Amino acid sequence: MTMSGDAPSTGAGGAHVALVTGGYDHTIKLWQAHSGVCLRTMQHPDSQVNDLKINPSGQMVAACGYQHIRMYDLASANPDPVINYEGVSKNVSRVGFQENGQWMYSGGEDCTARIWDLRAGREFQCQRIFQVPAPVNAAALHPDQSQIMVGGQSGIIHIWDLKTDHNEQLIPEAEASIQDIAIDPEGKLMAAVNNKGNCYIWSLGGSPPRPVPRKHLQAHKKYALRCKFSLDSTMLVTTSGDCSAKVWRTKDWTLMRELRHDAQRWVWDAAFTLDSRYLFTGSSDSYARLWNLEKGTLEREYCGHQKPITALAFRDQAV
Amino acid sequence: MATYDNKAWLLKNIRDAFIATDDTGLCEIVMSGEDFSKIFQNKAIEEKKRLKDKAQHKPGTSKGKDNIENDDEKDIATQFDPYPDMDDSDEDPLYGSWFRHEEFAGHRQRSNTSQWLDKKELALKKAAKIKIIKWEDPQTELTDEQIAEAFGKVQIKKPEKKKSLLSEQLEKCPELPHRQYLEYAKFDGTAQLGLPTKTFKIFMTMLPEKHQNYPLIVCVIANAKIKDLIGFTCYKYSIENPETPLGSVHDYGLCIAEDDGEVDWAFPCLDNNEPCSKFGFTCLGLINLKHKVSVVTQPILDMEMNSAFQCFPKASVSGHSNVNSTRQHTGESDEIMRAINAVTEGNKGFGFQSTQPITDAPQDKLYRVQLLHKMRTSTPVQLGITLDQIEVVPVVTQKHAFWSRPKYLLHSMNSVAWCQELESKGNKTAFRIVIQLHSNNQICIKDMTLSVIRRRPRR
Repeated sequence: MTMSGDAPSTGAGGAHVALVTGGYDHTIKLWQAHSGVCLRTMQHPDSQVNDLKINPSGQMVAACGYQHIRMYDLASANPDPVINYEGVSKNVSRVGFQENGQWMYSGGEDCTARIWDLRAGREFQCQRIFQVPAPVNAAALHPDQSQIMVGGQSGIIHIWDLKTDHNEQLIPEAEASIQDIAIDPEGKLMAAVNNKGNCYIWSLGGSPPRPVPRKHLQAHKKYALRCKFSLDSTMLVTTSGDCSAKVWRTKDWTLMRELRHDAQRWVWDAAFTLDSRYLFTGSSDSYARLWNLEKGTLEREYCGHQKPITALAFRDQAV
Repeated sequence: MATYDNKAWLLKNIRDAFIATDDTGLCEIVMSGEDFSKIFQNKAIEEKKRLKDKAQHKPGTSKGKDNIENDDEKDIATQFDPYPDMDDSDEDPLYGSWFRHEEFAGHRQRSNTSQWLDKKELALKKAAKIKIIKWEDPQTELTDEQIAEAFGKVQIKKPEKKKSLLSEQLEKCPELPHRQYLEYAKFDGTAQLGLPTKTFKIFMTMLPEKHQNYPLIVCVIANAKIKDLIGFTCYKYSIENPETPLGSVHDYGLCIAEDDGEVDWAFPCLDNNEPCSKFGFTCLGLINLKHKVSVVTQPILDMEMNSAFQCFPKASVSGHSNVNSTRQHTGESDEIMRAINAVTEGNKGFGFQSTQPITDAPQDKLYRVQLLHKMRTSTPVQLGITLDQIEVVPVVTQKHAFWSRPKYLLHSMNSVAWCQELESKGNKTAFRIVIQLHSNNQICIKDMTLSVIRRRPRR
């Protein structure tokens, strides 16, 4: 086991479990999730990390920040990015991948959502840009890979149909900005959280998938920051500036767990494990934490960042 | 090999090596008065003079008097002759030997321009490895086919229930010993980019001998305190050696050690609250403070400076019997050591006024210190401590400053019942001395705050 910058023998490769965190200290850390040891630190110069996503092959992690999306190789010991996507004038707040890795999407404070072509040597480029009236805080790709939900400062959720370029709008609450949007892996539910701590849920059942309002949760008393569904769609986690992460049952929208810790501050991001038994959270107290959802206990802590953790990405491996 | 035959050269080199490698500066203090190479140099000059005189009085030489003067200066070699480069050594008489190792050790500062160029070059090299993709606005409308290819709808597969590898790993990996030191993980220097770091070789001296063969290389961020360095060392060690249990970080201290791991017990532990960037040593030994106490009380320190406090035997005894559990020994001994250092240095200029040679009477001490008054003023006093008595003599600088003039004090050592350090802040130390007055057998408590001229912090 090694803690230094050498290529670790375990945990980093594409086919392995990888936990990546990033934040205000301009670094991105790769952790050995089960032991809590930091395997590598990568440099994310000049900017905080707004979002992290591991690509479909598990080889790379994309980090977005001010004016850039940077791609880091998880399998090598290189502390610098290998690819730097630039040309955005402001903060890039969200990033994500199409499931085959053909393209990448982003949303940013320049009031756009973009599609970045990742393919090399194709006769056509599938770059796309989608303009909205307000800075974008959230972008989520529908699992059918044909729509991107774009939400932001204005409180409007735009459903951008990639095939037709049409868009529909949802306004769940007036004068509240959308902070995050999530769609469950089955494509049946959509959740959005706002800066008032409210969570709105729609069902996307019909065809074409029209969102039908389903539930309004007063999830938190303060600013909500993230929402995510578990892989089995039975749980929704919402994180907030009230120093907690809350796990809700999607069956009846009751609160299943409230994850708090004395030292925990704003909880910026969260990720479920493949079997939905554990949940990672990243907090302003510079710690990432792993919670056992069945018992509600704290299983691991990840210490190494000097400043708040604002984004995390987790890739699990099926056995 | 000729060099090694030269006593003066050897002496000078040994002396310099001691001074240059000793970051505590103690060697310098000890040897400051006895630069043998200088003594030899002076002897050589005398010898030359003598030989020259001899030659001048030698009858029957064909050379004229003037010639002799010039030639002999160079030709006469004595047993004390140093090598030519000794004269133009880097020793500047104006600065003395005090600042020398600070100025000449380490690398010469490079110019800002060349540093900037280096940085620039490094950044360019780095940048060359990063592929930059600039956003390009879509030029042409995509055809329906192309859209179908890139943005086609995918049939959503219902995710099947899978077993997580992480869950399995977590079950196999129960309690981890390094968790108790987790809070120190953030001081890891290898995990920080752009922050100044410091690397230490740490010998796990407190462990059984078989674990001591190799030092642990530990890199921490430069502003980590010594206690953080201890914590991080424990963290790192317990990750690499989970089978070896370690104790609480509060039980450990860091001491200066040799390259081979031999701890220098003569020095106190490094102050837990000082940033590690302050210290120049790279080899340290992690020791168990509980064991350290017994070692320290042994009279290992035979140096003259330590004996300054030997005349307070009651203080040291009480200091240990009265241990406050919240207070660590390191802090105390460190402060004392610092005070001794400072006092010793202050003495250098002032000079010992003891009649006995230093080596014969190590107990007699005279210090020039500032006595601090409650009125925020201070006056210089001469504090004399011998085996028999303690004496405070005001040094009068301003005759009119009657309001701040301290009284002359003289007490027999036999009447001193107690002496204790109350508080030590920076270069100020408050002492309490309890004295039994002979005249009426009453107990008198004297509190004194002394301030010493502080040394510049060392590298």
